[in-house]
Amino acid sequence: MHEMSIAESLIEQIISVAKENSIVCVDEVEIETGYLKQIIPDVMQEAFKAVIKGTIAENAVLKITEISALAKCNLCKEEFTPELDNFLCPKCIKADVVTLKGDDIILKAVIGKEEKP
Amino acid sequence: MKVKVVKRVLDANNEIARKNREIFQKAGLIALNLISSPGSGKTTLLEETIPALKPQKSLVIVGDLQTARDAERVQECALDVVQINTGMSCHLYANQITESLSDLPLKEADYLFIENVGNMVCPGEFDLGENLKVILLSIPEGDDKVAKYPTIFRAADLVLLTKSDLLSVLKFDMVRVKEDIARLNANVSILEISCQTGEGMADWLKWLKDCHQKDIGAKAKFFTE
Ligand SMILES: Nc1nc2c(ncn2[C@@H]2O[C@H](COP(=O)(O)OP(=O)(O)O)[C@@H](O)[C@H]2O)c(=O)[nH]1
Ligand SMILES: [Mg+2]
Ligand SMILES: [Zn+2]
Repeated sequence: MHEMSIAESLIEQIISVAKENSIVCVDEVEIETGYLKQIIPDVMQEAFKAVIKGTIAENAVLKITEISALAKCNLCKEEFTPELDNFLCPKCIKADVVTLKGDDIILKAVIGKEEKP
Repeated sequence: MKVKVVKRVLDANNEIARKNREIFQKAGLIALNLISSPGSGKTTLLEETIPALKPQKSLVIVGDLQTARDAERVQECALDVVQINTGMSCHLYANQITESLSDLPLKEADYLFIENVGNMVCPGEFDLGENLKVILLSIPEGDDKVAKYPTIFRAADLVLLTKSDLLSVLKFDMVRVKEDIARLNANVSILEISCQTGEGMADWLKWLKDCHQKDIGAKAKFFTE
């Protein structure tokens, strides 16, 4: 359900990257979604379609790559793959961890046409 | 042209949140983001908490889709209140907090309570610059909710299991809930609390005062020494 909130922030970022690089029409956008963010690709695509209306990214295609999660135990430094509802270190059986991967949504690329000089 | 970037999609909000955090620190108050489903008792808790914290002073920012009812409820006991109507948005943004701060007497206050829009998902994504996240889960919502909304509980500093007076009439597996939380985050505190009977209220007030002391008290001392 948070896809819409995220899409709203995403479009702002796409537009600012496009402007900084004199892109006047965005054709494609690549994002990485961390497993722990639980982005459902179909829902994200629908949200994206809603937010690009009337912008320079109106016809852009969104490519989504999911990144798997990785956590590191603060106690024994073991790295392991957490589950959404389980961050217990397999060695310490305690959830005192930092997440190294899979807890972000990252804009990776904006592809488009530049302003004609 | 392909522009390669590595930008967290929520960076813009996070940057504003960081500035809010600086403002709180300079003003010498701690900010708490209260997150829960609608109806789990956030406003009731504030109505009970703010008078009990006196002489320490509290500010409140309330986010709701519509109406100023919650602001009216806490107006009397709080130093000042701002109501934000979010319209269609199911959570608060950091910039909405920034805008509200200019209307509030920050330096006079000890606590800023931010009652987020009732929602267990999106508020977790949007840092407001708070020092502490408090998640409320009320007994009538059921003992399966930690497992269903793990992300928000993973981010919590404190989980308040509210309406504990209803434990006597509703089936609620407290052990299961505490185990589900422990699987996500060993460092989160958990308190059972009832605004009806006052159970747990003293522990909650102590937790608040300890956090205030740790965060603000220590610094105030540092500056005067
Ligand atoms: N039994 C019981 N009811 C409570 C308690 N705290 C709040 N309520 C009731 O729960 C309802 C929703 O409370 P409210 O504070 O408006 O929830 P909010 O939407 O999270 O702000 C109200 O009818 C309150 O009277 C409690 O500790 N015990
Ligand atoms: Mg309320
Ligand atoms: Zn470990």
